[in-house]
Amino acid sequence: MPEEGLLGRIYKDDEIIVKEGMQSRTMYVVQSGKVKIVKSDGDKEIILAVLNEGDIFGEMSLFDASPRSASVKAIGEARVLAIEHEGLLKRITMDPTLAFRIIKQMSQRIRNLNSKLSTAMRTITQVNNKLLLLNSENVTFRDRETKSSHVIDNIAQIQKELHKCNELFIQNESL
Amino acid sequence: MKSAKNSPLKDGARVAIIGGGPAGSFFSIFASKLAKDLGRRLDITIYERKTFVNQGAAGCNMCAGVVSESLVQLLALEGINLPPSVVQSGIESYHFHTQNGNVRIKSSRLQQRGIATIYRGGGPKGSIEKGIQSFDDFLLHKAVECGAKVEHIIVDEIRMERDKPVLYSRGKMLHDCDLLVGASGVKASTGEMYEKLGTGYKAPSIIKAMQSEIEMGNNWISSQFAHSIHIFLLHIPRIKFVSIIPKGDFITISILGKEPDAGCTKVFLSHPEMRKMLPPGFKIPEKFCHCFPKINVGAARKPFAHRLVFVGDASSARLYKDGIGSSYITSKAAAHTALLYGIGEEDFKEHYLPACETLNRDNLFGQFLFHVNDLISTISPLSRGYFKIIQQEQKNLQKDAHYSDILWDMFTGSRFYKNIFIRALNPLPIIRLLLAGSASSLRKVFFSHQ
Ligand SMILES: Cc1cc2nc3c(=O)[nH]c(=O)nc-3n(C[C@H](O)[C@H](O)[C@H](O)COP(=O)(O)OP(=O)(O)OC[C@H]3O[C@@H](n4cnc5c(N)ncnc54)[C@H](O)[C@@H]3O)c2cc1C
Repeated sequence: MPEEGLLGRIYKDDEIIVKEGMQSRTMYVVQSGKVKIVKSDGDKEIILAVLNEGDIFGEMSLFDASPRSASVKAIGEARVLAIEHEGLLKRITMDPTLAFRIIKQMSQRIRNLNSKLSTAMRTITQVNNKLLLLNSENVTFRDRETKSSHVIDNIAQIQKELHKCNELFIQNESL
Repeated sequence: MKSAKNSPLKDGARVAIIGGGPAGSFFSIFASKLAKDLGRRLDITIYERKTFVNQGAAGCNMCAGVVSESLVQLLALEGINLPPSVVQSGIESYHFHTQNGNVRIKSSRLQQRGIATIYRGGGPKGSIEKGIQSFDDFLLHKAVECGAKVEHIIVDEIRMERDKPVLYSRGKMLHDCDLLVGASGVKASTGEMYEKLGTGYKAPSIIKAMQSEIEMGNNWISSQFAHSIHIFLLHIPRIKFVSIIPKGDFITISILGKEPDAGCTKVFLSHPEMRKMLPPGFKIPEKFCHCFPKINVGAARKPFAHRLVFVGDASSARLYKDGIGSSYITSKAAAHTALLYGIGEEDFKEHYLPACETLNRDNLFGQFLFHVNDLISTISPLSRGYFKIIQQEQKNLQKDAHYSDILWDMFTGSRFYKNIFIRALNPLPIIRLLLAGSASSLRKVFFSHQ
């Protein structure tokens, strides 16, 4: 592919395009390759979404001036076109339909979030039920040896589910 | 009996578009998309006499081939991303060659290759480059993907029969339609055909330009013209303005001036400032691909009527700038009017005309700004001061880029002229320019007496 005809900017594998916490109002469109939206959780990195050619990111900055809620990094080599904020706002005042595709993508993300949220709610209810059960088992506790291993198993499972839940909440927070 | 207002395009409505250049394709794409969102289906046919795959002028819509920064971004937002087969070069800067020296200008806002250079046909005559897809062919394919049909045929007569426009080609009836879209650019015979309908339409005023495609080889072009559009403001007789646009193995030389002819290209290539940029041993070719396209410099009168609307160059375009971007604006506004409001004369007057008037009014500011620019370039101390300020600004764009951004926006078409005009009135930078101008003349007086 001749390098001459490439629009935008090329980012190398794992290079940061948008940095979490930074103040910026630029929006982006992926021209080629893939990018990942990541959120740091301590020293771990949680991948919230992978975006492909044609996908838009950073669109929330069009509507508010909050710092970036997640980082965006290239997966392999990715080419990305930046959309200038002030120019776009001026165009949208002339032609509001320009925002349609952005709104469509946002509403798709809200749908995805809703389904993730309901999964998270289900998990919480299950965990809650298990805790209640454990509590009642503790009250009628007779055979200490066998029951204690059962309790440990349950706690491990609860921990796992709470962790899953936490990840879902982090995603909700950042998208 | 034709009514001033008419219902919007209904499900199954027939739309005929004359012209498959950017304006025709944009109309088709935006009308199809909106119709789909509204749960309607349109029967769209684009009549286009060219194919945009042949080399040379016959298969080309003849322009400098710069897709502006704002249009590249708008298209990306619309989901129309220009592929590398269409983009001949990604541009990141403008390089000005003036009497006072050279200066390269970058935008202070975004650091990227955000402007595209493209071919409007299958490439220059004699080019051996493979895999070129013209911009017009690319857009026409997008229109077909959205559901339009394309007929490579010339439309040479339109009649109003039973309240509907009917299209003819060489005496043969093509079909009638609910809406006729005139997207045929500034072709004189087609303009006359519309005028004969007696709706009050008057084709836009035009001036002639000259374009040449000169082969220099990809390596030389990459090293000399690297991702930059070169503008020459050199006071050469008969030549007002020259731009050089890099495209793969070729450069496109676009000349504005007094009745430019092929001789102008040769004169320009022989100018010392240009000679510096030519490959060693370069000889001006005897024959090269060239054309004399016409630029819309004054809006069409009454670009709409009952079941009839004109878009792109056949209607209004931004002065000397972003003609393709203007086609995007007018075509989208017309498509939305036809689908959301109606296809009667009053509907277009109320909902489409304002888009054209915005462009026309903005061009008045453009005219003024170009005059001021010309004036500055004729007053030596001022032009030297202006040049110095821009050179300084370019060294630290984050600090201050007032004049650089004005120049960038004027030549790239990234902002409307009115917006540039308002920024140009800022008194502090004006004082700075006047001071720089005085300093420059004092320096000249002082050094000439030493
Ligand atoms: C020298 C020059 C340089 C330019 N540089 C730039 C630039 O760098 N960037 C930019 O954005 N703009 C530029 N422009 C302006 C730009 O070319 C136009 O604004 C743009 O092409 C308008 O698009 P359109 O679809 O309205 O018309 P056109 O591109 O002219 O397309 C009209 C189409 O209609 C077809 N047609 C006409 N009559 C008939 C008929 N009767 N039947 C069937 N088909 C018909 C023609 O074949 C043609 O394909 C330049 C113009 C000139 C002259």
